[in-house]
Amino acid sequence: MTNSKARGGPLQGVRVVELTKVWAGPYAGKLLAFLGAEVIRIESEGSLDVTRTYGVADINKAPGFQAVNPQKLSTQINMKTEEGIALLLDLLRESDVLIENLRPGAVKRLGLDYERVKAVNPDIIYTSMGMFGSEGPLSYQTGYAPCFAALGGLSALVGYEGEPPAGMNIRYADSTFGTIAANAIAAALVHRRRTGQGQFIDVSAVESMTSMIGDSVMAYTLNGEVVECDGNRHADMAPHGVYPCLDGEWLSLAVPTDAAWRVLAEQMGCPELASSAGYATLAGRKANEAALDRLLADWTAAQDAQKLSDKLQTVGLAAAKSQSSVDLVADSHLWGRGFYTEVTDSEGESRTIVGPGWKMSRGAAITQAAPRLGEHNDYVFGEILGLSVAEQQKLAEKGISR
Amino acid sequence: MSALEGIRVLELAEGVSGEYCGKLLADFGAEVIKLEAPGGSPTRGFAPLLNKGTGGVEQSGLFAYLNTNKHSVVVDLAGEAGRTTLAKLLTQVDVLIDDHPAGWLAELGLVASELETRYPKLVACSITAYGLDVPEERRHAEDINVFHASGWGYHTPSGETVKPPLKGGGRFIPSYEAGLEASMCISAALYERAESHLGQFIEVSKQDVLGSRIDYVLGQMVAGDMDVSLERTAFDLGGPAGIFACRDGYAYIWMSAPAHWEALATLLGEPAWMKGFPDRWMELECTPERVAECRKHLAEWLRNENKHEVSAKAQALGLTLVAVNNAGDLIDSPQYQYRGFFSEVSHSVLGTVQYPTVPYKLSETSVQIHRAAPLLGQHSSDYLAETVGEQTS
Repeated sequence: MTNSKARGGPLQGVRVVELTKVWAGPYAGKLLAFLGAEVIRIESEGSLDVTRTYGVADINKAPGFQAVNPQKLSTQINMKTEEGIALLLDLLRESDVLIENLRPGAVKRLGLDYERVKAVNPDIIYTSMGMFGSEGPLSYQTGYAPCFAALGGLSALVGYEGEPPAGMNIRYADSTFGTIAANAIAAALVHRRRTGQGQFIDVSAVESMTSMIGDSVMAYTLNGEVVECDGNRHADMAPHGVYPCLDGEWLSLAVPTDAAWRVLAEQMGCPELASSAGYATLAGRKANEAALDRLLADWTAAQDAQKLSDKLQTVGLAAAKSQSSVDLVADSHLWGRGFYTEVTDSEGESRTIVGPGWKMSRGAAITQAAPRLGEHNDYVFGEILGLSVAEQQKLAEKGISR
Repeated sequence: MSALEGIRVLELAEGVSGEYCGKLLADFGAEVIKLEAPGGSPTRGFAPLLNKGTGGVEQSGLFAYLNTNKHSVVVDLAGEAGRTTLAKLLTQVDVLIDDHPAGWLAELGLVASELETRYPKLVACSITAYGLDVPEERRHAEDINVFHASGWGYHTPSGETVKPPLKGGGRFIPSYEAGLEASMCISAALYERAESHLGQFIEVSKQDVLGSRIDYVLGQMVAGDMDVSLERTAFDLGGPAGIFACRDGYAYIWMSAPAHWEALATLLGEPAWMKGFPDRWMELECTPERVAECRKHLAEWLRNENKHEVSAKAQALGLTLVAVNNAGDLIDSPQYQYRGFFSEVSHSVLGTVQYPTVPYKLSETSVQIHRAAPLLGQHSSDYLAETVGEQTS
């Protein structure tokens, strides 16, 4: 077997076990896999992840699961049996990192809490991901991604001026939470390499969201100002917004300096605006921002978003089309730099995936599609745990590896 | 100890992404030397400013938040002497962080191949809007542009609207996300370096980072498993979930499973309107009419509730209803207080105020704010004398 042994990457040689559900935990595991770690996702027929099953004809071709789990291994262990838990502890003895994002209290009930795992592997980096973290007065509460964004203070900032909050896109939060967990794990790996110590990492989804708006929170602690939704406004730039174009398309535009404003006014065919008392300075443009936004919207409305963006770029202005999903999958820059990349599944079928947000000189090869259920049972039970074929058969017969 | 104690980082970054990356490393114990131009980092001029700002470079709450635990050294890279100092500093550090536009590092002669030859142990990280291979027509970008180039913008907020798509929460989501990604990559590279004794060049693109954050949806779209369209609701899930006004603010309610519906019925005392909905309607028969009807009743109910109280009642029954918190709620949160998420920091100009810390607690690695953000050039003499000292020895 050659499972991921020669992929390279900074985390080559690190073994991660995932007891995860849905998106946030699996996303953390995916980042570590993309950095070169061997990531083993524990699954079982009796408790398949919703992304394997929801509205899916073939659990081994589940689109959502495939999108978030490339380059991982899948092993079946039935955690509802004592022997399953014992088997999992055997695997954790041979592992470096555990990631769990099960419901509050679940790992304890399973007998897989940190103390229990630490007893078999004192060096393990045990990562617990919870909506509010693993302890505290509200740690019993549960929620999905938009709940994290609401509780963390982020949703309240997204919306139109003077209106109730509208909130971020409903998909936001899980992947950010997962990255924050992976960042802590990477630091803990450095810690362990330098000291030999493992540890317990307790990550909060709600605090993760607050981290993405730290400066807005500082506005409150520093000045007592409760920041509210302000459309597309930016305290230090004007104009700063998203403006209508032809065919229902939109253009994002940011003007960070007075000089950039003069260039824009020229482009609009209104050079007099640049020197007019109301608009020459940032303070003036902020004071007259509603009128300014109307002027801009009138100007952009009859133009093609992409062509206008291209034109403004040639004179040094920060503009970009607001990309729909059609634009995104057709974005030649994302294809050209290999952000969209091809992987291959166990049947030799290729599939396009979304790559990582980085490139590095000695990065890991990313070549394998998400695993079939139990695709790596043989490798994990045979090679890592050293079980004979007969012993593995017995596990299967007793339903431990189903 | 801290994970990165003894690791020296040179921060050339002057934007939110690189400064946030440096902060995350500094909070893990790295010694971060922030190189600033004589006028200071531009983030020193960004809101929120103390009392709206009366001038000066020490009044930004943004800068204060992003630069805790760092050292400020003023070096003018426009001059020959400054570049010599930079070259010297590069021999003394483990990590380099930059977030200037593509081409800026190259102008200093700091391209990947050159760095690898001259400083083979250096872990260098460049954060840019679209990557170092940026096409001409994307050369100029602020965060709102990348947010909209990544798909998040077009699809925010969720739901039908004719109003402009939005920039997301606050001004800097793309920068925070990219800084976070960079921090993770740098730690991973340091982990590897401890054995290989080799540095490497890391390139982070904000557009790639944001695109990868929507992998669950975009991954299905690019593989041809999910339809793409011009709809602004193309990322959405539908259903009655949403934000509703309460007596004292707003609450968010999520409902997708029969268990949520049953919990709601229990909480409301089996009201008549709920009886008109078929079993498992959210999964199997989620029509726009039913969603509208359900939302209407939710709005009527929640209008007279207080957000924290109703959330506690709902959560006890397994209904995922939460408060839409603002900054004041966060400071008051018993959970944040329990975890010590806010930390009091004293700054000679800004005074003593609460700062948000990091969203993780590690049992062995301390993650702490030891000192406030540096004043401009506060540590110049320490580091430049040290550099000169080594030059003459």
